[in-house]
Amino acid sequence: MKKIIPYLLLTMAAVVMIYPVLWLIGASFKSNDEIFSSIWFMPEHIELSVYKNAWETVTPYTMGHYFLNTFTIIIPKTVFAVLSSVLVAYGFARFDFPMKRFFTALLLGSMFMPAIVTILPQYLMWNKLELINTYVPLTLPSLFACEGTFVFILIQFFKGIPKEFDEAAKIDGCGTFGTLFYILVPCIRPAIVSIAVFTFLWTMNDFLTPLIMIHSVEKYPLSLALRLSVDSTGQGYEQRTIIAMSVIGLIPSIAVFSLAQKKFIGGITMGGLTG
Amino acid sequence: MKKLFSFITAFSCAAVLSSCGSKNKSEITKPDGKLDPCTLRFSWWGGDDRHEATLEAIELWESKHPDIKIVPEYGGWDGWTEKVTAQIGSAAEPDILQINYDWLITMSSDGKGFYDIGTLDGLDLSGFDEEVLSFGKVGGIMNAVPVSLSGRGLFYNSDVFSSVGAEYPSTWDELSDLGSVFGDKDLYPIDLDIQSGGTAWYFAVVYIQQKTGREFITMDGQLGFTEDDIRDALVFYKDLEDEHVIRTLKTRTDEDGNAALYQSSEFIDGKIAGVLEWGSAVGKYESVLLQGVLEAGPFLSDGKGNNGGWMIKPSLLYAISKNTDHPDEAAAFMDFLLNNEECAEILGTTRGVPASSYAEESLEKNGKLTGPAQDSNEMLDKLDTVTISPYMELSRMKEFYNTAIEAVSYNTADPSEAAHEMYESIVRYLEKIRK
Amino acid sequence: MKKMTYSNPVGVGKFTGLLLISPFILGFLLFTLSPFVCSFILGLTDSDGISAPVFNGGENYIRMLTDSGLHKAIGVTFRYTALLVPLKMLVSLAVALLLNMELKAMSFYRTAFYIPSILGANLSVVIMWQYLFTSGGLVDQLLGTVGASHVSWYGEPFHAMMIIVLLRLWEFGSTMVIFLAALRDIPRELYDAAKTDGCGRVRAFFHITLPMLKNVIFINLVLQTISAIQEFNAPYMITGGGPMKETYTLGMLIYDEMFRFNDAGYANAVSWVMFVLIAVVVALLYKLTGRMREGTK
Repeated sequence: MKKIIPYLLLTMAAVVMIYPVLWLIGASFKSNDEIFSSIWFMPEHIELSVYKNAWETVTPYTMGHYFLNTFTIIIPKTVFAVLSSVLVAYGFARFDFPMKRFFTALLLGSMFMPAIVTILPQYLMWNKLELINTYVPLTLPSLFACEGTFVFILIQFFKGIPKEFDEAAKIDGCGTFGTLFYILVPCIRPAIVSIAVFTFLWTMNDFLTPLIMIHSVEKYPLSLALRLSVDSTGQGYEQRTIIAMSVIGLIPSIAVFSLAQKKFIGGITMGGLTG
Repeated sequence: MKKLFSFITAFSCAAVLSSCGSKNKSEITKPDGKLDPCTLRFSWWGGDDRHEATLEAIELWESKHPDIKIVPEYGGWDGWTEKVTAQIGSAAEPDILQINYDWLITMSSDGKGFYDIGTLDGLDLSGFDEEVLSFGKVGGIMNAVPVSLSGRGLFYNSDVFSSVGAEYPSTWDELSDLGSVFGDKDLYPIDLDIQSGGTAWYFAVVYIQQKTGREFITMDGQLGFTEDDIRDALVFYKDLEDEHVIRTLKTRTDEDGNAALYQSSEFIDGKIAGVLEWGSAVGKYESVLLQGVLEAGPFLSDGKGNNGGWMIKPSLLYAISKNTDHPDEAAAFMDFLLNNEECAEILGTTRGVPASSYAEESLEKNGKLTGPAQDSNEMLDKLDTVTISPYMELSRMKEFYNTAIEAVSYNTADPSEAAHEMYESIVRYLEKIRK
Repeated sequence: MKKMTYSNPVGVGKFTGLLLISPFILGFLLFTLSPFVCSFILGLTDSDGISAPVFNGGENYIRMLTDSGLHKAIGVTFRYTALLVPLKMLVSLAVALLLNMELKAMSFYRTAFYIPSILGANLSVVIMWQYLFTSGGLVDQLLGTVGASHVSWYGEPFHAMMIIVLLRLWEFGSTMVIFLAALRDIPRELYDAAKTDGCGRVRAFFHITLPMLKNVIFINLVLQTISAIQEFNAPYMITGGGPMKETYTLGMLIYDEMFRFNDAGYANAVSWVMFVLIAVVVALLYKLTGRMREGTK
């Protein structure tokens, strides 16, 4: 009996956590008045045509097209972010160099400014370079470890690895990069995967940056396509199509997280010094 | 090392500063009377219905003018102002844009922010009233053409009214009386809010405009009300709360949170029986109630024949970028959007009831002008309306109104104090932004 | 000039580190420095984002001294941060410990507990919060069944802040994930050794787990504090800053000044104030946790 209690509590908590998603799925079948008057998630009727309409959108492109756009942005961005964050964090965590304190302050400082302040000056710069309406402004900065948050997280994880590991690697003949790739990275793989997952999720939900940087509907990522139809100034609309779209949009995020955490996050490790 | 860094800093400062300001083309392209092949960018915001209709209209245009292509740019309202502001700030805006009324002030306060449409012959404005056209002028220069006009009107839930046994009010006093009639059944005849809708202050302004004959804010940005007028408006609002005509702000926030009325279960279930809303946006309320339940009510008068003070504004306008390379072609396309019969039929009322008489006739012929929005519009047409000044619509001004209403509703200030504060803030602000 | 000694591993020059962080340096120069400088300069101007900025000296900063709305927003932001951050740290850590156990179907639970973070301030969440906390909503009904009287959530200042804190608290997923990643690195042998020494679970937590998590606790603390001070989205969606601006955070003020009131000059000036506030708070956190953390920069 005692064994069931943790499961019971966990399941109740889990239901509370996922309820909004259940509600969203149910709402995609509800009419407008149903949506705003009932908290129970089951709809009165279920009509799958709403998903067909949602997929096709009123634009000349289907959601598949927008998904493709989003992935065109996310995949390079994630790869860039992971590569550069790991390198830079390694530098800060394990090495000493001139002006290290100064650069650390810069790194931290870059995290303190609210993002909306920098978006318009960046827009002006990209406009000058005539790279507006391309995906460059959305992906290139990641190549330069622009997310201070990620670098900062990785630095702390690197610091958690005892220096003996590095020394052992040196004894085995590893150079700077060898130590990094063969010893340190495997140790903090869960952290690196977390960073990749965060990049993925945050980019999926990022709305303001693409809104400012992208003009043509053809290039809209999913986050913009989802807001296409939301117009509070107009005559109103069937909420359920938009909701269906956001349900479809949630699937990659949930799938990615689900897969990633199964393999890399959580569970007790067998340790690092042996083997 | 440090020297290098400071040099780079200085360099990027200079580079950035030069682009921090406006980037304008030095010359305006003059019209040459010809329609050359080109590609035009056209942007608008809206919902699915508007997107669908506009895309179809563009297809129609391209079938008639195969060598003038239109590249559409569109999205929802959320964030659209930021987007267009960024574009205009860097001279990267589309050739033709749908603009919001207050953008005339924020983006063209000197009248030169958009192309001077008065210099373009390719645009037939004969279908518009002179007065309507004046709404798109800044400093005498025609910056934009109103697409449709809209005013807030009262719309009621006919089911609830008949079950209470009440008639739609036609005077302010009749509305006040409804407070107790509905209150006995724990219902409310209408609702006002201070969120993005801002209907609370709007309603109070109409009342005082009708009573005094003074305009709240004039078209050129002067405060027309006296401080006493403002105080009277706030007292009028407080009375509505006290008489149970509307919910107090606290009750409203408690019951609806931050939601708009059409998302509120109180409205959907009929506890609130009416709303003050733009004719061009009332569809949202229609859709959450059953068919035929929402009806337009009369515009309130004082019972002695004075029904002035009600307001209208252009709900949206079309403008041409002053940086466009193709003014004639842009004008021709705008003419198509505004006046062409077939186009009007396709666009329907997705942008409200068209201000162009040609477009309106087309819709009437096809029987598309029905429903509470249309009823309200027709009533409004017969009134002597006040045009909402674009200055009244500025976001910071709305903050002043809402702060005062909140103070009065939550009793943290009495109407005179709140009126004094609003008066000072408005006068100071208007002085600052009037150019 | 004093000779700098660099404590690098054998055979590593003092420029290797610089090479490694060169992407960051480049990126900073290209993408961060210019906007920051631009922002600082705009903070000294009258600018509406469209026409050319006009220098006004320190007028924006002087205005801040008498802007009661700003003072209130700062107070709101600090109250919010002080409420949210400790709670979030506790909850994330507790749940991470729970989910680190080897019970069946843990991966399902981990995903479920992360989902709120994926949703963010989605429409569904805004509506859920309305169902729960408006008059006659679920919480009211529950209170009714236990005989308690109606509590006003949205309409009562402190309560409105609580429901926003609850929203962000509910999104503890990211913080939890970082803790989980760190927990995974703690060698199992340590726990086994402790067990054989007769160490109970609680003692093991305080003597093994916590010390090994020191660095991660510090990062989460700093990151959560920064994002709490910058908070904009949650109050914007849930309460719109009300009632009476009691949930109107500094982040919302900056957004409004920049995008709704077209006062880019003031918005940028206030952003720098936020920058300084955050820097001071992080420096304080750094000092306060100095003894707790291992190692130095």
